[in-house]
Amino acid sequence: MSQGQFSSASGMLMIALSFFFFASSAFAGAGEGKKAFDAAGCAACHQIKGPAKEKTIKDALAKKGPELWYAGSKFKKEFLGGWLEDPRPIRPMEFYSLTKTNQGNHPKLSGKDAADVAGFLMGLKAPEVKDSGIKPQENQRGRIIFVKKQSCYGCHQVKEKGVITGGLTGPSLAGAAERLSPDWVCAYLSNPRVFKPVKDMPDYAGILTDEEIRDLAAYVSNLN
Amino acid sequence: MKMNISMKMTAIAAAAWFLLLAGASAFAAAAAENYRFYCSQCHGLGGKGDGPNATKNMPVSPRDHTSKYEMEKLTDEDIINVIRDGGAATSKSTLMPPFGRTLTASEITAMKDYLRRLCKCKAQS
Ligand code: HEC
Ligand code: HEC
Ligand code: HEC
Repeated sequence: MSQGQFSSASGMLMIALSFFFFASSAFAGAGEGKKAFDAAGCAACHQIKGPAKEKTIKDALAKKGPELWYAGSKFKKEFLGGWLEDPRPIRPMEFYSLTKTNQGNHPKLSGKDAADVAGFLMGLKAPEVKDSGIKPQENQRGRIIFVKKQSCYGCHQVKEKGVITGGLTGPSLAGAAERLSPDWVCAYLSNPRVFKPVKDMPDYAGILTDEEIRDLAAYVSNLN
Repeated sequence: MKMNISMKMTAIAAAAWFLLLAGASAFAAAAAENYRFYCSQCHGLGGKGDGPNATKNMPVSPRDHTSKYEMEKLTDEDIINVIRDGGAATSKSTLMPPFGRTLTASEITAMKDYLRRLCKCKAQS
């Protein structure tokens, strides 16, 4: 090999290597987040690879925590990091319990790990969640469905005039505006079995029209 | 051993009876599991209308499914309709949700039978 050939080959190698480092540093957050996720034992309670596995009520009750394989489509980025550092109860009851209230004892992460894990979780997207163009807003048609036509508050807490009210078995929707993506709320209501094939909330797909589901998603994702 | 006609008949009848019983009890077990998972959150584990969602500020209390007085007012048809389409189907509160897209028609019928066992009652004629 001549001198010239050698230097051009090593030049190529340098370019390839620096490209590799550049690419890997762009994903360092997610990579470290995955490491921190594994190190903290989060996988013991959370499924991070789709699709949904549960087929029977027994499968659903055997879950120790909500599945996170579509976390990046469901949550708002700003919410996740903060919650992992300071996890306040989302479900008023313990997971799938009808008798015990949520003790607020979810594992906590330090600031850096919380940010890294949030970065990793935000990368877990579900192709079923499409850009719906829904804007969170005090949608009157959505409100009427929520409080009257379907009484969603029967299982979900909401804040009405500053007071928390509503049922306890579903995740609290007070503060849904900070937590949930409107696109995901719409996808979940339209196509619930992709995300939760077996769950204690009834399916409304086919009971509500697509238009009603969009109104509801706008309303729910605006709840403070 | 060669079976004569009447032995065969008895064997077939026994097998059919066994299948019927096993089938009926499988339905009953599934209905009990469905009740616990879907209905108890409002109606309570024992069906007395005292599940965790029956909080003080709920405007309407879930029906006490053990109450003969309340439950005999409903025909079997009413019970099936209200489980499938929600409270609006019997002009009751929409706090009773529709399960027609969650449970199959046969699961809903089995649930109706389960409720009849809870109240130990039939529709008043
Ligand atoms: C012992 C089981 C357990 C472990 C370990 C665990 N979680 Fe959880 N996780 C839960 C439960 C139960 C909930 C529901 C809490 C609530 O509703 O307040 C939850 C909720 C969550 C949520 C919100 C999900 C949703 O759909 O509302 C996220 C995000 C999350 N966990 C991330 C993590 C991370 C990251 C770790 C590791 C540091 C972790 N969890 C460790 C059980 C667990
Ligand atoms: C019978 C109780 C019940 C009723 C009625 C009900 N839900 Fe739910 N809902 C639940 C439960 C339980 C979950 C959690 C399911 C799971 O994770 O397995 C849930 C989950 C949700 C979620 C996802 C929240 C999250 O943070 O994961 C949204 C959004 C939601 N429900 C909206 C609605 C709307 C809108 C209605 C009315 C059309 C409604 N629900 C009626 C029980 C109910
Ligand atoms: C979100 C709470 C909730 C859930 C979950 C729920 N119910 Fe109800 N149910 C109610 C309420 C509230 C009433 C009373 C309605 C009224 O009196 O106006 C009721 C009433 C009923 C009635 C009596 C209807 C009538 O016309 O008198 C039946 C039957 C019934 N529920 C069956 C069920 C079954 C079966 C399930 C589970 C598949 C179920 N319910 C789940 C809240 C609920």
